[in-house]
Amino acid sequence: MIPIIKFVVRNSNYVSWSSSSVTANGAKVLWPSTLTVSFCTNNNDSEKKPSVKKTSKAMKAYLERARKHEEFIKKENLEYQIGKRHLANMMGEDPEFFTQEDVNKAIEYLFPSGLFEPKARPFMKPPEEVYPPQKAAEFDEAGRPYHFLFYTGKANFYKLLYEVVENINNLNKYEDRMIRKHLTPDPTQAMSMIGSQWLPQDVLEHRLVEPLHESQYAAFKLAFDRLVSHPYSYRVRDFIEEYRKPLVNQVALQQIPEPQYDENGRPYVTTTNCLRKRSWAEVTVRGAGSGKISINGQGLDYFAEIQSREQILFPLIMTKQLKNVDVEAKVIGGGPSGQAGAIRWGIAFCLRSFVDKEMIEQMRLAGLLTRDYRKPERKKPGQAGKRKKFTWKKR
Amino acid sequence: MTLFILRSLGSRARTAISEFSYECSRRSRLSTKPNVREEGLKSETDIETYLDPLKHPDYFKVHELFTISDLFEARVHYGHKIGSLNEYMKPYIFGSRQDHLIFDLDITARHLRQALNFTAHIAYQGGIILFISRNAQMAHTVETTALDCKEFAHTRYWRGGIFTNSQCIFGATTRLPDLCIFLNTLNNILTQHTAVVEAAKMNIPSVGIVDTNCNPLLLTYPVPGNDDTPCAIELYCKLFKEAILRGKEHRQKDIDQ
Repeated sequence: MIPIIKFVVRNSNYVSWSSSSVTANGAKVLWPSTLTVSFCTNNNDSEKKPSVKKTSKAMKAYLERARKHEEFIKKENLEYQIGKRHLANMMGEDPEFFTQEDVNKAIEYLFPSGLFEPKARPFMKPPEEVYPPQKAAEFDEAGRPYHFLFYTGKANFYKLLYEVVENINNLNKYEDRMIRKHLTPDPTQAMSMIGSQWLPQDVLEHRLVEPLHESQYAAFKLAFDRLVSHPYSYRVRDFIEEYRKPLVNQVALQQIPEPQYDENGRPYVTTTNCLRKRSWAEVTVRGAGSGKISINGQGLDYFAEIQSREQILFPLIMTKQLKNVDVEAKVIGGGPSGQAGAIRWGIAFCLRSFVDKEMIEQMRLAGLLTRDYRKPERKKPGQAGKRKKFTWKKR
Repeated sequence: MTLFILRSLGSRARTAISEFSYECSRRSRLSTKPNVREEGLKSETDIETYLDPLKHPDYFKVHELFTISDLFEARVHYGHKIGSLNEYMKPYIFGSRQDHLIFDLDITARHLRQALNFTAHIAYQGGIILFISRNAQMAHTVETTALDCKEFAHTRYWRGGIFTNSQCIFGATTRLPDLCIFLNTLNNILTQHTAVVEAAKMNIPSVGIVDTNCNPLLLTYPVPGNDDTPCAIELYCKLFKEAILRGKEHRQKDIDQ
C-alpha cells in the first residue's frame, strides 16, 4: 500500500500530526514527513497511528535484506578461501600459489563424476561466480535513493549512457579549443576497433546488475560507436576499453606440437585421424627432405585425377616447403576426393610445426587448417535419395 | 509585522502557501526549531531568525532569481502556432505575431515565482524532487541539473506504473518523489507525459512548464512558457536548481543550529 499525503485546504488550523519527531531519549530524528498519512481532526493532540510503523517497517525490512545478503557473501568468501587452503594442503601444493585451475583439477580428482553435463558435476568457485549479483540497498533509512537515476528503474545502465554523452560533450569542447589553436588530432593515437568487439549483452547485464532489453543494448552500442567515431576519442581510451572485449586470436590459442626426431636425426610430425567424408588418413611429414611423396606406398600417381593431386600439393606450394619435406601418407576408405581432402588437411596440420606464425595464420585464412566436418547425408525412406523425391503424381 | 505582510498579499499567495506546506507542520520538520507560538517573539527587530518559513510569502527570496527581461532574453515568451493552441492556455497568452503565439511574461513570472517558492519549500523539508523531460536534445542538461542539486531525474521512456505500481516496478516499497518538475509535459505532439497523470493519481504535487499546445489542468503549479528552445530550458534548469539549493542551504543551517 503506497502511503499518500492528503492535501487538504483548510482556512486556519493545522492538521494533527501522527508521529513525534523526537524519540524517547531526545535524539533528533528527521522523519520522512511525506511518508506518513495525515488525518484531519480538529484537536491538536498527536495520536499514534499504526500506519506510520508499517511503512518504515517495510523499508527497514528491505534494508535488512540488503545488509544480510552482503554479510552472506562475505561469509561465503571466507569459507571459500579457507577451503582452498585446505584443498591445497590435501593435494600437497603451496596454498599461496593455488590457482582456480588447480582447484578445478583437485575437485575433479577427489570427486570423480560420471555425469555427462559439466554443469552438474561438483565444483568449487568463489561466491561471486556462483550467486547472482544483487544490488546493495538502493536507498537510505529515510527512503531517499542513493542514485540520481533510481526512478528510471535501470540506474546503472542510464548512468552509463549519461557518461558517454558527457564524454562526447567534453571531447567536442576539446576539439573546439584545438581548432582555435590550429591543431589536428594525432593520427598515430587513433583508436583501432579491429580485434575487439563491444561487450556482449549478457556480460554487460552481469556487470550492471540490471536486465537489458535488446533495444537498450542496441542503444548502448550506438552511443559508444558515436563516441568512438569522434576524432579525439583516444583521449577517453580507458573508458572505452572497459566496455570492449578483445577477439581472441584462435591461432595463438592452439598448441602446435614440436617435431620429434628419428634415428637419422630428421624431424618429423605425424597426424592421425585425418577425416574427410568417408576417408581416414594418417600423414607423416619429415623435414630435411627432397620432396618425396608416398601415398599407400605409391607416389602422387595414386590419384588418377589432376584435381586430387593439386589438392595434396597445395599446402606444400603455399608454404614453399615442396622441396624441403617428405610426405608419407596412409589412407583408407572413401573415394579420390575424400582421400585427397583428408591427406591435404593432414599435411597442412603437420606443416604448422615447420613454419612460422605468420604462415600459419595465412594457412588458416586460406582454409587449410579447417576440418571439413561435412559428412554424406543419408538416404531417407519414402524418397529416392537424400533429397530426391519420387515422381510426384497429381492424381 | 508578519500579519501586515500576509494581509498585504492577495488571497492567492496565502492559499498557495497554506495549501500544501501547512500539512507538513513545524513539529514534524525539525525538532530543535523553537516554536514561535509557544515562546513568542523575543525581539521585535530580529524577525528573520524565527520567522516561520511557512508563513513567509517568499522566505527563500526566489523573486531575486530572475527578472522578466531574463525570461525575454531566454525566449520564454515564444509559443507555437495558433492552430495548435490548447483552449486552457488562453489565459496565459499575450497575443500572436505572424501566427506565432506570445506568452504574457507578467503572468509567467508570477507563476514561475510561485513554482520556485514551492520547490524551495519542498527542498527545505527534505523532499525528493524528480525532474522529468522527454526532450531528447535537453535530456543531458536536465540530468546534469538533477545531479548538481543532488535530486533525481527521469528523461527516458516512462514505464507505466512507476508511481501507481511502484511495488512491482522496484520490487520493494519505495518512497515516491515529493515533487515532480516537468521541463516539458508532452511525450510527442500528440500525447501528454504519463507521469502527469500518475503524479495526480498519487497526490504528488507537480510543477510543469506548459507550452501553448500543452494541457495545464493536471499540474499543481503550471508555468506557462516555451518548452522547446534550449536556452529557455537551460534557464528553467538553472532557476530550479538555484531554488532547490537555497532550500537545502536553509535546511542545513537550521539543522546545525
